[in-house]
Amino acid sequence: MSAPLKLALVGHTNVGKTSLLRTLTRDIGFGEVSHRPSTTRHVEGARLSVDGQPLLELYDTPGLEDAIALLDHLERVERPGERLDGPARTARFLEGSEARQRFEQEAKVLRQLLASDAGLYVIDAREPVLAKYKDELAVLAGCGKPLLPVLNFVAQPDHRENEWREALARLGLHALVRFDSVAPPFDGERRLYESLALLLESSRPQLQRLVEDHEAQAAARLAAGNRLIAELLVDVAACRRSVTAQPELERGAIRELHNVVRAREQACVEALLRLYGFRPQDAAAADLPLLNGRWGDDLFNPETLKQLGVKVGGGMAAGAAAGAGVDLMVGGITLGAAALLGAIAGGGAQTARHYGNRLLGKLKGQRELTVDDSVLRLLALRQQLLLTTLAARGHAAQQTIELAMPQAQGWRDGKLPEALQRARARPEWSSLNPGAHLEQRERQALLEALQAELSHA
Amino acid sequence: MTAHLPPTLTPLDRLWLTEAVRLREDHAGPLDDDEANRRARAEGGELHQLIERRALWLARRDGLVEALQHWRQGARLAALALLLFALLSGAGLAWAALGDGARPVNVFWALGSLLGLNLLMLLGWLLGFFFAGDSGGALGRLWLWLSEKLARDARAVQLAPALLAVLQQRRLGRWLLGLSVHGLWSLAMLSALLTLLALLATRRYGFVWETTILGENAFVGLTQGLGALPALLGFSMPDIGQIRASGTLANDFDSARQSWAGWLVGVVLIYGLLPRLLLALFCLWRWRSGHSALCLDLQLPAYRLLRERLQPASERLGIQDAAPAHLHKPDSGIQPVEGEGAVLVAIELEPNRDWPPPLPSGIANAGVLDDREQRRRLLEHLTREPAQRLLIACDPRRSPDRGTLALIGELSRCAAATRIWLLPAPPGGVLDDRRLQDWQQVLDTLGLTHGDIAPLSWLETGHD
Repeated sequence: MSAPLKLALVGHTNVGKTSLLRTLTRDIGFGEVSHRPSTTRHVEGARLSVDGQPLLELYDTPGLEDAIALLDHLERVERPGERLDGPARTARFLEGSEARQRFEQEAKVLRQLLASDAGLYVIDAREPVLAKYKDELAVLAGCGKPLLPVLNFVAQPDHRENEWREALARLGLHALVRFDSVAPPFDGERRLYESLALLLESSRPQLQRLVEDHEAQAAARLAAGNRLIAELLVDVAACRRSVTAQPELERGAIRELHNVVRAREQACVEALLRLYGFRPQDAAAADLPLLNGRWGDDLFNPETLKQLGVKVGGGMAAGAAAGAGVDLMVGGITLGAAALLGAIAGGGAQTARHYGNRLLGKLKGQRELTVDDSVLRLLALRQQLLLTTLAARGHAAQQTIELAMPQAQGWRDGKLPEALQRARARPEWSSLNPGAHLEQRERQALLEALQAELSHA
Repeated sequence: MTAHLPPTLTPLDRLWLTEAVRLREDHAGPLDDDEANRRARAEGGELHQLIERRALWLARRDGLVEALQHWRQGARLAALALLLFALLSGAGLAWAALGDGARPVNVFWALGSLLGLNLLMLLGWLLGFFFAGDSGGALGRLWLWLSEKLARDARAVQLAPALLAVLQQRRLGRWLLGLSVHGLWSLAMLSALLTLLALLATRRYGFVWETTILGENAFVGLTQGLGALPALLGFSMPDIGQIRASGTLANDFDSARQSWAGWLVGVVLIYGLLPRLLLALFCLWRWRSGHSALCLDLQLPAYRLLRERLQPASERLGIQDAAPAHLHKPDSGIQPVEGEGAVLVAIELEPNRDWPPPLPSGIANAGVLDDREQRRRLLEHLTREPAQRLLIACDPRRSPDRGTLALIGELSRCAAATRIWLLPAPPGGVLDDRRLQDWQQVLDTLGLTHGDIAPLSWLETGHD
């Protein structure tokens, strides 16, 4: 087992070194990030492993702030008649007293870079190429370690990527990577580690392994996310409340159903956040249009549905648009009978008994509350949006997630997926109903089918 | 840790308990698992081993292992009850088929009662197997239900669903239940066969067949058709004459007794016992082969989350080089009391910015400071000839780093009075409010006057 590759993240203060480290490690709580300069004043490490084998160690360092003076100082540590190379000069500086005083922070950076295999020089691509940055590079080059410039904040409109490319090329740094720590590109990590592999040929296998594992994990996370959404949809679609046909009781039951569905969606949001390594309070604070982590706009409000372009079923009046369709006695008997026949044909005395009970309930004047189709579509849309947003979000991001208008037309109007229609008829598949049987194989198969459909949507 | 567990845990039991813990956490929220995780991680290994170890530790702590033993006991009891039932009903079948010997036995009635139910259930099982998917038959469900009832224990609530979840993975449930269904039926048929033999050995039975509408040939054909296969194995078969004779009212039973008895035993063996036995063996084989290939489905969301905890893809290494108690502050020098003239200088402006602004005469423009040489030149110049008034323009979009502040400090010590001009954003740009505040804060601590409007009249005349 080879030792893990050590990388130091170096650069000017306030260019997003800690942010980059958060994104690369998917650790939202690493270090401290703020708009103030010199937020990070210590060296802190993080380790990336695959299957328990450590492959990469990343070290966050304080920002370089006084490179011009330091370069001056470095030039003076040479005694007359002496010619020191970069590392020797750096070593002598580190032994000197200024390394503990004026340049204490810079000395930390240099010491860490000397102890690492390579450095990632993080650049705020919005900054002009100032002389102090060039001096920083000169100081860092004195450590004799390969440096890979990383252009941060390239996803923002006013970046100066070309100026930086040109300037870095003049300094002999031709390999560079664009990597926005807030909105990392889809293949950003791969590019970053592949560029590193060019600089550190002997570490190529472990970098390759890391990249492959990360991509596999990303795909698996996406699948797991779709699975969570599929579970939500099945739970809500199969959710059902039986209530005696009295207006007061019905209102109470509708309210109860709303609350149950809202809570279920919230649980899904939290599960997705957890899956992607974000904290529920991160989302609550800034990330979702949720009140305290809850969707802010009322789930059952017809306005919300309109806003998302969901066509509320024509027959549903405003009350019905409130989200729960009431399966009325009128016509319910025939439907129930048809379902009964189908159930018997499909086999399974349990199903037959179940339908029998429902039929009996109807004859006794009971009504059944289920959740409206458009609510299901809305849930699917919102959660998928959240999923794609989370998948493309860096762990350095602090801004609110901007939820764009949903794209997938199939969910907005048109039919529900066939799998959900089936789930409608199986109350025992919903964790929101009493006496649920969640481990039934048909339910699992249905979840898989729905998951596949979601990942193609 | 695993060493303390009862040694009876098979790999299936381990998987089962792991799934039970997963389901429990799914339903009741995460368990307090710090110690379990630590112990699981301490021993290292593959992810599925870690998950299993953690789950087993939790299962042992929460009494799930005992619950499993109880459940097992219950299952064994239930199986025992079913076995007994199968034995008795097999014997009963044979008894009912042959009767007490007082009356001659109607061979086809006897055959029907011996094989009819069996074949009907077999047909049901086959239909269920091929069409219903979730098969196992009524008997299998009965077994699960019984064992659940016999081990009534709150901790064991998730055990039965967990077993189903484990078995579902390779669709093993059908083979296990098939094994028990066919095993029980084999036993029942064996018991019936033995009872049959015992009865035939110890009693004297006459065999007849009767019909009202069918012809004699139908029975002859049927008897021979059914008996063909057993005959290959050496079972006797009544010849045509004997068959015909058994159909007449006044026959003497003696001549055909033995061949009918052999025929009956052969048919029950071949069509009753043998198919069930073969199916049971087939199920056993499938169960064995699938059983050894069972493993955890690491793609499940719950296990994905566990992976993050047990084999974190990233973990913090902690602080390697601690922060200093306080950052180095440039020492304040002495300001010259008197200087000459007014100077405007800018620090680190972007190259495409219009600079300087139109200046009244009498103000020296020191240009934009960026690199070392420019800094040194200006500092040397101002040290030789200090200025009366110095205006330093800074772009608040840069971050106020120590190097810049040190430069501002040095410059301010080369003039009798210094002010800072925090430049407004260029056309089309915006300032970051928080950065602007950072600048104002640090300039306040340096004790320098600052503002975002150019104090050019101050620079020119010395007062605002």
